[in-house]
Amino acid sequence: MDTTPVFSVEGLWKVFGPKADRVPGDPELTALDPAELRERTGCTAAVRDVSFDVRKGEVFVVMGLSGSGKSTLVRCLTRLIEPTAGTIAIDGEDVRAMDRSRLRELRRHRAAMVFQHFGLLPHRTVIDNVAYGLEIQGMGKAERRERAAEVVAKVGLEGMEHRRPGQLSGGQRQRVGLARALAVDPEVLLFDEPFSALDPLIRREMQDEVVRLHHEEGRTMVFITHDLQEALKLGDRIALMRDGRVVQLGTPEEIVGSPADDYVREFVRDVPREQVMTVRTAMRRPTADQDGSGPAVRPEATVSEAIEAVARAGAPARVMDKGRCVGVVDSDTLLGVVAGTEQPAPPGTEQPKEAV
Amino acid sequence: MATITASPPRVGLPGLLKRPAVRKLLFLALAAAILVPLANARWASGTWPSALTVDFSEPLAKASDWIIDNRDSHPLFLYFLGHVSNVVVIAVRAVYLTLLAIGWAGVTALGALVAWRVAGVRLALGTGTAFLACGLLGMWVPTMQTLALMVVAVVASVVVGLLLGLAAGLSDRMDRVLRPVLDTMQVLPAFAYLLPVVLIFGIGVPAAVLATVIYAAPPMARLTSLGLRGADKEVLEAVQSLGSTARQRLLTARLPLARKELLLGVNQTIMMALSMAVIAAVIGAGGLGDRVYQALASVDVGAALAAGIPIVLLAVVLDRVTGAAGERIGAEPEPRRGLGWLLALAGVVAVAVAGRLAGRLDWPDSWVVGIAEPVNRVVDWMTAHLYSGVPVIGGTADWAGHFTTWVLDPMRDGLQGLPWWSVLLIVAALAWVIGTWRTALTAVLAMAAIGALGVWKPSLDTLSQVLAAVVVTLVVGFATGIAAARSDRLERLLRPVLDVFQTMPQFVYLIPVVALFGVGRAPAVAAAIVYALPAVVRITTQGLRQVDPAALEASGSLGATSWQQLRQVQLPLARPALLLAVNQGLVLVLAVVVIGGLVGGGALGYDVVFGLAQGDLATGLVAGAAIVCLGLMLDRVTQPTERRVKKGA
Repeated sequence: MDTTPVFSVEGLWKVFGPKADRVPGDPELTALDPAELRERTGCTAAVRDVSFDVRKGEVFVVMGLSGSGKSTLVRCLTRLIEPTAGTIAIDGEDVRAMDRSRLRELRRHRAAMVFQHFGLLPHRTVIDNVAYGLEIQGMGKAERRERAAEVVAKVGLEGMEHRRPGQLSGGQRQRVGLARALAVDPEVLLFDEPFSALDPLIRREMQDEVVRLHHEEGRTMVFITHDLQEALKLGDRIALMRDGRVVQLGTPEEIVGSPADDYVREFVRDVPREQVMTVRTAMRRPTADQDGSGPAVRPEATVSEAIEAVARAGAPARVMDKGRCVGVVDSDTLLGVVAGTEQPAPPGTEQPKEAV
Repeated sequence: MATITASPPRVGLPGLLKRPAVRKLLFLALAAAILVPLANARWASGTWPSALTVDFSEPLAKASDWIIDNRDSHPLFLYFLGHVSNVVVIAVRAVYLTLLAIGWAGVTALGALVAWRVAGVRLALGTGTAFLACGLLGMWVPTMQTLALMVVAVVASVVVGLLLGLAAGLSDRMDRVLRPVLDTMQVLPAFAYLLPVVLIFGIGVPAAVLATVIYAAPPMARLTSLGLRGADKEVLEAVQSLGSTARQRLLTARLPLARKELLLGVNQTIMMALSMAVIAAVIGAGGLGDRVYQALASVDVGAALAAGIPIVLLAVVLDRVTGAAGERIGAEPEPRRGLGWLLALAGVVAVAVAGRLAGRLDWPDSWVVGIAEPVNRVVDWMTAHLYSGVPVIGGTADWAGHFTTWVLDPMRDGLQGLPWWSVLLIVAALAWVIGTWRTALTAVLAMAAIGALGVWKPSLDTLSQVLAAVVVTLVVGFATGIAAARSDRLERLLRPVLDVFQTMPQFVYLIPVVALFGVGRAPAVAAAIVYALPAVVRITTQGLRQVDPAALEASGSLGATSWQQLRQVQLPLARPALLLAVNQGLVLVLAVVVIGGLVGGGALGYDVVFGLAQGDLATGLVAGAAIVCLGLMLDRVTQPTERRVKKGA
């Protein structure tokens, strides 16, 4: 299997302001916090020394509050905003070294973006909006309409092909935005807070749509959001940003289970842990006498699923991985996770036996 | 605690000093205390000292002579301006002949069917009726002449405006260069543009078309740039994110997104072009404007009205049809649009061919209804019975006379009697208190330039007429505007009236006032008031209605009476709109007051007319420059600070 990351970002900086170039290279300036930097230089560092890889087929979520630099970050990936320093590679190819035509090629075929306020052309019908990316590529009218019609059906907008964006609801408009991005069959989909302008119910519906699409196509996605629930629901891995820096990068479980600092801890405080943490983190080593009895759960099952199993059986559950018992969860261990009293070690490391 | 230090401010010197207006005035007073005695000692007080004037008439006359002598030989004329002039003449002639060839029935059908396609059946009927009315009034040929000139001028204006607008919309540097120029052009009276073009092209159709283009292109440029810059940033970003080239972005996104502004620009350009095409009769445009001009020169109100009505009809029709085209944008596109246009085209061709076969291309003489005679009889009757001696209320001429002796004369004498430096000081103080030091500086320099040009006295005469007209306009306009803002019924009644009045070219307003008041300064002022009033009423009403309803609700919930609401909430919050109304009132009034030179308004307007009539371009150019300065000064004096504040906020 190809293990080259789809996007590989290394030491990325984006500084706005006069003579922004000097900031990333100057250790004295990079040490300053945002307010001091603005006072000293008049510059704002929106993205500060960010590094991450986006693996093929994963949903990579960048999350942070407004002003944390996440939207700037995603725009830097296709150079809609020109980065100040650092490297970006797509499939190993240096994005910052691309010339204009190569960059257009990247935007046309390899990465398509979905925007917060949809960014639809109000004077075009749904079908022509969806076909717009193909039109830009120079595809003939009949062909692009045919392709667009397929995508329109895929996002559930059949019958609305000839409406204008102004006649659609917010959720429908974002479906058009999604369809427009999908129509060009990109390698990566970039989402910039696509659902934050929508009502809660529609938002959930659209999230499910994204989950479904990802499930069906396995397309790599970079998803920007300020909504923690959304991040946990969609993300295979989450990069949590604050003041332009990534403060923690990990799976939802790692973020919730072992916050890197007080900021992250405060952030995830209200998360229902049992729905994020998996049995793998909660389990303890099986003791000989328990081997072979009790209900079986998978290691990836959430703690809440295990609670249900344990409650039904009235006995500890066995964690079964490929037919082998790798651990045991009982009501005490599960309760410890829910209460957050116990600090589970990151997955992969062995759970100390003496832990409750 | 903060509340302790912020105890109620004592009204005293330190408190007063904190107010910026007072500080500015104090500074000015200080400067005046030093400079005025010096100026007084050096140059006499009273009117603008002759030592400070620069005589432009001689170099201007020389330049004018040089141009006249070299018009047929100098390469600049041979290879550039001559071609421009020829192209314009040929284009206007071609359009004119085409219109005549289609015949009156064909043109009427063309107008009606285009209106039908663009704006619907009702406007189509209106358009057809308007054209027929032009024929009935015996004005078919002049209408076609004006229309031909307009078509050429509008096409040229739209192209020029579009190009300038594209430049300003796409490049920040061009925007910085063009914006102040376009802003300033917007406030200058149409009359000021006439002489420079005459200087270069001589009196005739090319000069008229060029003056029209110069006058009508700026709104197109401004709105194009505005539309391009106002486009939704995220849409443009989305388009860019799909890998579009700059050209694709412009053609598929930026221009389509700016359609509303573009069409509004076309609409405004057409209206301004009509307005100017009529005024340009003074420099040889011919057509309807010329008929009005000739009739006014001989105080033949009937003939002026016969030519004036087609102008008004053209204005209303053109405005409604182009306006409707703009409103249709964004609506569901009709199916089979092409078919409708094809049908319309076929209809026009059929009517035109039928007219040709019937040998009825020209409007039949027997169908002309002469309204000049009866109208003049009515005017004569009015002169005999209403001009003076009406019991109790007096007569219209009496009013005009009283207005002249009791208002205009004292104001003019007062202004002219003021020491020159005090006029500059007043201008500086007003402009600085309302605006910024920049606007104040521009205003003072403009006023000083008037003095330097040697037309101090006639300029103050014009200024006195402007001020008198503006005061009346504002009093009536604010009162009507406030009333309309408070009563929906009144607003509904007023709206169609305002719509019609705002579309009429400036020139037309002179006709009724001459009928009512004869000639002189009072009628010029009256025409200016009528012209500026609709804009002032509209801006006031809109300003008051746009006041945050939450603020009104809050004051209402505290038990404020509606008078208290008006005085304490609506008027203060609508202050920017009211200031804009003052600004627009001044600009519009000035435009008509100078045109009033045609009906005995005297002063700068008369200098322009005189310069044109006598071929004394130097006098006219100096007066034109003074009009420009006056316009600039009046605009800057009332320029709200807001345009500059943005940076801080």
